[in-house]
Amino acid sequence: LSWISRFVALIGSVAAAATFAAANCAPARADAPLTAVYQGQSIRFSHIGSKDGAPAIGVNDPGFAALLHVTDSVLTWKPGERYVLITTSVPTVVSFAVGDRRYDIGPIVLQAAFAPYQRGNEVFLPFNEVLRGLDLALREDGAVKVLQPQLGTLDVRASRDRVTLLAHGGAPLHPRVVSQTSSAVTYAFDGVGTALAGTRQINAGGVRSVQIATSGTVRAPVTTVTVALQPGASARPPQNNGARDVALAINGAKASPQSIAEESPTPEPEPSGTENPGNAPIPNATPANQSAVVTGVTSQPSGAGATVTIAVNGNASYAWHRLRDPDNRFWVDIRNAQLQGPPVDQAAPSPIVSMRARQIDESTVRVALTLGQPSAVVVTPSANGLQIEVGNEEVSDDAARSGTGTIGTVVSSGEQNPALVTPAPANNGQYDSGTSGDTGWKFGPRSSYVPTNPRLIVIDPGHGGSDSGSEHGGLKEADLTLDMAKRLRDILVARGWQVKLTRETDVDVYAPNDSAHDELQARVDVANKAGARLFVSVHVNAFMNSGPYGTTCYISKPEDVPLARMLEAHLAQDGTKDDGVIKSHLYVTYHTRMPAVLVESAFLTNPSDYALLASAAWRQKIAEEIADGIDQYTRAYPASNAAAQ
Amino acid sequence: VRLPRFPLLVALLVIVAAAYWYFQSQRAPSGETMAVYYTKLDGTSLASVRVSVRPRASGESAAEHLHNQVLYAAVEAVTGPPNDIKAIRFPPGTHVNGVTLDGSTATVDLSKEVDNQAGGSFGESGEFKALVYTVTGIAGVDAVRVTVDGTRLETLPGGHLELDQPLRRADW
Repeated sequence: LSWISRFVALIGSVAAAATFAAANCAPARADAPLTAVYQGQSIRFSHIGSKDGAPAIGVNDPGFAALLHVTDSVLTWKPGERYVLITTSVPTVVSFAVGDRRYDIGPIVLQAAFAPYQRGNEVFLPFNEVLRGLDLALREDGAVKVLQPQLGTLDVRASRDRVTLLAHGGAPLHPRVVSQTSSAVTYAFDGVGTALAGTRQINAGGVRSVQIATSGTVRAPVTTVTVALQPGASARPPQNNGARDVALAINGAKASPQSIAEESPTPEPEPSGTENPGNAPIPNATPANQSAVVTGVTSQPSGAGATVTIAVNGNASYAWHRLRDPDNRFWVDIRNAQLQGPPVDQAAPSPIVSMRARQIDESTVRVALTLGQPSAVVVTPSANGLQIEVGNEEVSDDAARSGTGTIGTVVSSGEQNPALVTPAPANNGQYDSGTSGDTGWKFGPRSSYVPTNPRLIVIDPGHGGSDSGSEHGGLKEADLTLDMAKRLRDILVARGWQVKLTRETDVDVYAPNDSAHDELQARVDVANKAGARLFVSVHVNAFMNSGPYGTTCYISKPEDVPLARMLEAHLAQDGTKDDGVIKSHLYVTYHTRMPAVLVESAFLTNPSDYALLASAAWRQKIAEEIADGIDQYTRAYPASNAAAQ
Repeated sequence: VRLPRFPLLVALLVIVAAAYWYFQSQRAPSGETMAVYYTKLDGTSLASVRVSVRPRASGESAAEHLHNQVLYAAVEAVTGPPNDIKAIRFPPGTHVNGVTLDGSTATVDLSKEVDNQAGGSFGESGEFKALVYTVTGIAGVDAVRVTVDGTRLETLPGGHLELDQPLRRADW
């Protein structure tokens, strides 16, 4: 026992001494200011500390603020808060916490030289780690300190016939091709150093290896990336995706005659739009090594027709489309997936004629069916794949012609809501469904609204007056919506409806220069006070870039669903893509008491949609299709007799 | 028979130390993760990237830890996925000023750049859907109120989405 007690006493005293030493090892000594050059500009850092021999930077330092500014980064921190978060230009979040040596750059967890510490009201961060997060490195050029931009990442996205190298740097990147032969291409990044030097074997998609090397001086570094090519491969010019991001793409050798023969004999046309109107690569939401695998595609007769089972191992999203009779083809694209084994092209049981499966690009597997008739098709996702039931009965005219969803178990069991995706509506004729049903939508209780004016339809031309909505190439949303609304009014009036527009000219509905809320409430009030049968708000969509296009019907309430489905069905032939019915929390659809839909007719920011919007004939067509949808809806859902009297 | 006690004790201590080290090393990396959602360019489907969540630190109360997690989730959601992923993104420069919690409702204060919407329902709906799904992915949070530079607002200027009530997953 004496041995044990002596040991315990010894260990105890050592531990106490260590604790005492740790508590007193001075983190809080101010060091001399530091001046460093970034891109020719001197930045003076005055809130400098040090710990364990490594530099620390105070978050309130003016130089630190200047550095964040010039690197397009943002600090999220308030005095007293434990977490210090920096959003970089990648964009990614670099996360620190007081007292924790761990720091995170996006999904990557790292260990810093020391834990951030508090001095007075200010948190001091490990400086080298902050710089690493910003893709910078502190170097010395004689007596001058230099914040050298780094080639921080060079991600390799490889597929069978293509490799894309995605570079991100701590300063704008302007790579130049310094040499190009049939066996190698070398890019130089001037002004950029890197810690990534070395060679990486790829041996896929036309690339044998990628070699990274640095040269030049501290102030004028050069990073070269040499890509050794496989025979027949070719490099495309570097492409900037933003100032600090560059994609270097290599195409593998041209497809062999055999692989051309593998192409489907009746290639599926692109749906009158996919996500990529151009030939932009479909991005991988997850790294290629997390791709799902389509392990099998089988078909068998079922009681009511035939069933196709697509076995998928892993998480993927899918989008399906079908064409209209007499072209009875159906296909589903499984994204972030690889087809295991050779392409499939075989006969399938009636009412399916044939079934094909192939890899259509680096991350998409397409399964296509040729149907013998316009059969009803039901797509059901599960954790293990997709089941496609093709019935003997004919599809209804109102049925959805496209839809999306996810396969697998993307959401962990700890999540509150298993609905990762709100799939596009799969129409089963369940117009009355006020609960989640097959759409994943959840609604509050249905209202017992009865229109006091069942022949009145309120049309709301979006925006107007002080709010012109989006503007592009000389076209204003407010003008377009008013034009479409007036056309719609004229058609409906000719068909015997009473119509009230929320505005008849280019004015604010509530008051000049009012708030958006007052403006939207005023439009809602017009319909609610009049006791209108329906409310349709006409809008024009827009986005930050020209990619998205198509027509979308937005809804908020359960009673909006059938109207939106019927409008969508008529608008599906409007010449741009059918983007489906989307549930959201839009003010006017949420607060109107009657069935309401906000139609975003097309994207002003997309060139082909823009051309449509600019055409009076197309705006007339949109008005007619909305009117036809309203007619169909009011026939299917007559106002109750009580209300009509 | 007297066994030599010193080597025995040393062996015992080595075993205890090894077990402790093993326990610690097993525990440290198996951190929790959280899904950061983004809305895809179809305007409605969500996908997510996962980031690691810091465990609760000693001296960090449960309430403070929840606050910190919500802050991290909101900043990640507003930041969005890396550039090469096509996603609906908040207008450039939009960032989180801070978060507060009131019961199970988180208030996320955004910078004024969020007002610079492109102008359609598409962007607004997709941006806030991703933010709400990400923040309500944290146990204990089921609604998100949005303020801009500390001011409650009912809609964005020229906007479409109602923001005067806290937003929930069921709104989409």
